Amino acid sequence: MIEYDSVTKVFGIGKKAVTATDNVTFTIDKGETAVFLGPSGCGKTTMLRMTNRLESITRGSIKVNGQDIMDMNPQKLRLTMGYVIQQIGLFPNKTIAGNIAIVPRMLGWNKEKIRARVDELLNMVKLDPEIYRDRYPVELSGGQQQRIGVARGLAANPDILLMDEPFGAIDPINRDQIQDEFLKLQAKLKKTIAFVSHDIHEAIKMADKIAIFKDGKLVQYDSPESILMRPANKFVSDFVGADRALKVLGLLRIRDAMNLSPKNLVQAGTDAPQVLKMMEDRGMKFAFVLKDNKPVGYVSPKLLKYEQGKVEDLVERFPEELGTREPLRDALSAMLMHDMIDFPVMDDNGDFAGSISYKNIQKSILELYYEDQDG
Amino acid sequence: MNLFVFIQENLSMTLFLTWEHIWLVGMSLIIAMCTGVPIGIIITKNKELANKVIGGANVIMTIPSIALFGLMLPILAIVGHGLGKVPAIIALVLYSLLPIIRNTYIAIKNVDPAIVDAGRGMGMTKWQLLREVEIPLAIPVILAGLKTAAVMNIGIAAIAAYIGAGGLGVFIQQGIARSHEAMILTGALAVSLLAIIVDLTMSLLEKLVTPRGLKL
Ligand SMILES: Nc1ncnc2c1ncn2[C@@H]1O[C@H](COP(=O)(O)OP(=O)(O)O)[C@@H](O)[C@H]1O
Ligand SMILES: [Mg+2]
Repeated sequence: MIEYDSVTKVFGIGKKAVTATDNVTFTIDKGETAVFLGPSGCGKTTMLRMTNRLESITRGSIKVNGQDIMDMNPQKLRLTMGYVIQQIGLFPNKTIAGNIAIVPRMLGWNKEKIRARVDELLNMVKLDPEIYRDRYPVELSGGQQQRIGVARGLAANPDILLMDEPFGAIDPINRDQIQDEFLKLQAKLKKTIAFVSHDIHEAIKMADKIAIFKDGKLVQYDSPESILMRPANKFVSDFVGADRALKVLGLLRIRDAMNLSPKNLVQAGTDAPQVLKMMEDRGMKFAFVLKDNKPVGYVSPKLLKYEQGKVEDLVERFPEELGTREPLRDALSAMLMHDMIDFPVMDDNGDFAGSISYKNIQKSILELYYEDQDG
Repeated sequence: MNLFVFIQENLSMTLFLTWEHIWLVGMSLIIAMCTGVPIGIIITKNKELANKVIGGANVIMTIPSIALFGLMLPILAIVGHGLGKVPAIIALVLYSLLPIIRNTYIAIKNVDPAIVDAGRGMGMTKWQLLREVEIPLAIPVILAGLKTAAVMNIGIAAIAAYIGAGGLGVFIQQGIARSHEAMILTGALAVSLLAIIVDLTMSLLEKLVTPRGLKL
């Protein structure tokens, strides 16, 4: 846990003084990722660097796991926190293993333990230890170097990770991939992370909480959903962009919005005329066909007209399969692409779990939005 | 050819003067290295001091060697060392300091700030940073400074014969005094050869001490 209490940082004195952070108070809970977000020069990096005392604090206090960092030896404090920066800063004269081993060596680990840890970390960041252990940083691509930067930050298994635009210098495709991998890693490791970014997409993706800064002031500290749907002021809503509803769709999962007990279901073995009659009686435009609780396709009155066999032989296949964990954005995209307003949703085993319609999506967005009007 | 005859007839003298020359240059280089490298490192922490120190060393470099010997003579005469090896070595040390200090300073300053920041952020002390990265990365550049100083000092040491420091300059000085062409040539060739050999050896050494990660 990291507690920032009225933290102010002033660079310089007199006329030239710059207030980099201004009376900032918030708390990063244990195991959560807080993304410091805002335009260039708003104080994100300064905030981060005060946390491990690379910058001094002008006023206020920072507590790490309950202890005031000013009461701790700066070197010892830093040994307990991983530090990963955009420029990476690998030591060019040391091998990959040597770079990862820096903090463990300072902590006095024995050789065996360090070697095992280096290999473990290389595997963790998806680089084969046999190949990369003894290479030098110059022999690696930018993306690979940044993976080593992350591995080095995690080397001594610190509770806390400080990351300053760690993926900022990587090309978009690799960045997306390394972000995904890091998210998976964090799901297991549950580190307390302070993560600086100027990219709203990255913030939404990585954050449990987003801290939005403007001119050194903390403007809003909230979950990504709340930041998107209930921005504190115009600065925040401008910063998150006019497409904030679409961004929320990237954040919400299908399972958060789907209809768990849709009415328009028919079993595969049912006869077509029977289904047609039911559909006409209830005014259904289409129905999902299930076989052994797995969706096999859909039927419409038009498809069933004049047919006698079982519905399973008459179905149209779904053009796309959607799972409960996929973002709502994917569901909406499927609807737009295939001109369908309702899709079945499958759980991890491929069994039918519910359905997602355009109305479901809209409802979940509006719910988030209306919390705003109420509160 | 009478050059070879001269060398043959004065072989032990030639070898002795060569050795004396190497000793003068080597000694002054070791002293300059032991003072210049730490000075170069220390001044990286203070830009103002750095400017003063490097500026001062620059001024020394601009004083012609023969003038420097002359200037030191009355001062060192007080302690009875106006002539001989002591003033020669002092002058050679002073001349070596600039390339050594400057190269050390520049090499350490040129270490990527991101590397230093990452190191500090991981909890390394200034000393650990110096030992683990800054100095290893700087060594080739420092060595280049030593090479410059060594080659330059081989030439300056030849002039030090005029204040009785010995070395190969003795051949040149006495050869001129006696119009002995072979003697002058022996001294001149030996000094040049020495300079070339030192230059080549130290260039090789420079390559050897470059960290592997920088050579790839
Ligand atoms: N070492 C420093 N000396 C003087 N001013 C600084 C220093 N570091 C940062 N600043 C100033 O503090 C403000 C915040 O900088 P920074 O925290 O780096 O912003 P961000 O990371 O959000 O881009 C800027 O106005 C910047 O110019
Ligand atoms: Mg920054």
